[in-house]
Amino acid sequence: MSSLWLWVALGFYSLGLAHALLTVARRRQAWFRSALLAFGLGFIFHFVALVEHGLALGRFPVTNISEATSLFAFLLTLGFLVVYWAYKMTPLSVFAFPVVFVMTLASALSQRPAPVSPLVKASWVPVHVSFALVGYAALILACLAGVMYLIQERELKRHQPHAFYYRLPPLDTIDRLGARALTVGFPFITLGILIGMWGAAGAWGPDWIRDPKVTLSFVLWFIYLLLVLSRVSAGWRGRRAAVLAILGMVMALASWSANYLSAHHAFLGH
Amino acid sequence: MQLSLIGLSHHTAPVEVRERLHFPEKDIPPALHALRERPGVGEALIFSTCNRVEVLARLEDGLEALPLLADFLATTRRVAPESFQSYLYHHSQREAVRHVFRVAASLDSMILGEPQVLGQVKAAYATARAVGTIGSVLDEVLTHAFAVAKKVRAETGIAGSAVSVSYAAVELAKKIFGNLEGRNVFVIGAGKMSELAARHLLRSGAQAIFVTNRTYARAQELATQWGGRAIQFDDLLAHVAQADIILSSTGCPHYIIKKEHGVRFLAERKNRPMFFIDIAVPRDIDPELNTLDNVFVYDIDDLEQVVAANRRVRQQEAVRAEEIVEREVDRLLGRLKRLELTPTIVALQDKLHALRQQELERARLGTLTPEQRAAVEEMSRALVNKILHLQLTQLKRLPQEPDGLKFIEFIRRTFQLKD
Repeated sequence: MSSLWLWVALGFYSLGLAHALLTVARRRQAWFRSALLAFGLGFIFHFVALVEHGLALGRFPVTNISEATSLFAFLLTLGFLVVYWAYKMTPLSVFAFPVVFVMTLASALSQRPAPVSPLVKASWVPVHVSFALVGYAALILACLAGVMYLIQERELKRHQPHAFYYRLPPLDTIDRLGARALTVGFPFITLGILIGMWGAAGAWGPDWIRDPKVTLSFVLWFIYLLLVLSRVSAGWRGRRAAVLAILGMVMALASWSANYLSAHHAFLGH
Repeated sequence: MQLSLIGLSHHTAPVEVRERLHFPEKDIPPALHALRERPGVGEALIFSTCNRVEVLARLEDGLEALPLLADFLATTRRVAPESFQSYLYHHSQREAVRHVFRVAASLDSMILGEPQVLGQVKAAYATARAVGTIGSVLDEVLTHAFAVAKKVRAETGIAGSAVSVSYAAVELAKKIFGNLEGRNVFVIGAGKMSELAARHLLRSGAQAIFVTNRTYARAQELATQWGGRAIQFDDLLAHVAQADIILSSTGCPHYIIKKEHGVRFLAERKNRPMFFIDIAVPRDIDPELNTLDNVFVYDIDDLEQVVAANRRVRQQEAVRAEEIVEREVDRLLGRLKRLELTPTIVALQDKLHALRQQELERARLGTLTPEQRAAVEEMSRALVNKILHLQLTQLKRLPQEPDGLKFIEFIRRTFQLKD
């Protein structure tokens, strides 16, 4: 998938990337406002690109891996902007901008017009994929929050403040952000998986359960469940929740890469 | 125009010297009057705090500033000039402006970035302005200095983080809990330092729930004062789990709160974070507690370490602040130069006479007799001179007026005089 608008969006995202790199190199938030503006513009052009692509195809554009990556990067940007609006959490940009840039780049570069399997045309598939992607995006945010939490906690435990101590938000704020991201993401990933199960059972028969991606997704869902429940019932917060969120992210990455192993999730129509 | 500043500060002079030259508040107006009476002094300001005594003045060109101002100090403060002369610094023109900016922006303070000095400079300005020794130039310098100080505070971290132990404790609490609103504080042992830290915490929104002390009466006293509850010293462990921030400073020879207590508290609190501030020596809180998740223990050395790190940050930020000051000095000097009086008067004269010439040429006086033409020319010259005269008498007073430069700016704009 490669439209002009996606490249324009990527151009704006690259300013965000430059901001992140510069901030790390100089250990000082460098022209954040301009970077945020560029990122916002990138978001708008990204939206235009998605709509245009969808109209051209005549369907919701999540039918191959490049399209799904693009939508995912878009959701991540949306998540970041919402978090920024709610928490004014500028340091998150250092982590989020590069991730969005890389994903959009990956999507823009994979240009082959994938042959679409008849399965993918089923109406439940876009819903399944989009819901799962929202769940992933929330998990990435929770994971980024987890990373920030671990860094800030280390600073506070060691009694020697470094640059991070001054820049990162308070522990409690980061912890809440992580929790909230998961609370929003959990229903989506649950519904996404349920729809997938229902659809797959109908399309492939009893075979569906042996797909590696399906297995990994169940593990991922279980970690997600653990994350949400442990906080409510056992008071697993702070460090433990942060580590678990990062673990969840690793699991999600495994699950995502399983797209290349799975016969049914490769989007390519074997 | 000659702008001069002399003075001495904690950087150059010991307190014995500073206290002798110090101006009590009530002495400043008469001293300003006396300085203004001296020949060649156009404007004046006296700035006197416990850390510095400084005199800023606009003098006539060619005047020797240092002897004049030093003599003024010696006479008004009735001290021998030799006793302080070696401690004096003297800045003129650009350096004087920069010095005022640096002082106002707290770059010259004993504690870098401390906020009080700006208020003191503002007070000194208000005094001098009320006395009438602030004219156009000093007004411009001082008001610009206030703006620079504000800019420095806003754009650099020079006043960013705490440089005292009690404020550092509050900042750490905020880094852990975010908002302190509604957080519970437990004060164990009443000492000067813990009271100070407790007050800072309360002012930041925290609640005091429990106070305990070896002498129960003292605990009760503080509890009423802070709206909390006094606890018998022996019962304290039963209440710690209800507190988010524990401030401890007893004279106990051993740890009061140990790691196993911490484990219990956390279970009771469902792992909500706890922040122990231990300013007792010997320590009250077992440092092992710091190894528990969601528990943060800071002893007095840790707090000092944070303060030292914050100081280093301020010093780094000061470098950026100096750059801002340098840029602003340039801007102000540029403006002062543009709005100098004498060139403005010359330009105004030229402008009006040029206008007269232009209009005479346009009037086609060829039909008049030579006598008539001479009369018209004479009349136009007289008219221009009359107008100029009216303006000049006003203009020459402007340097003594605080708003002088704004009027000069106005004149330059209305008559379209080129910069």
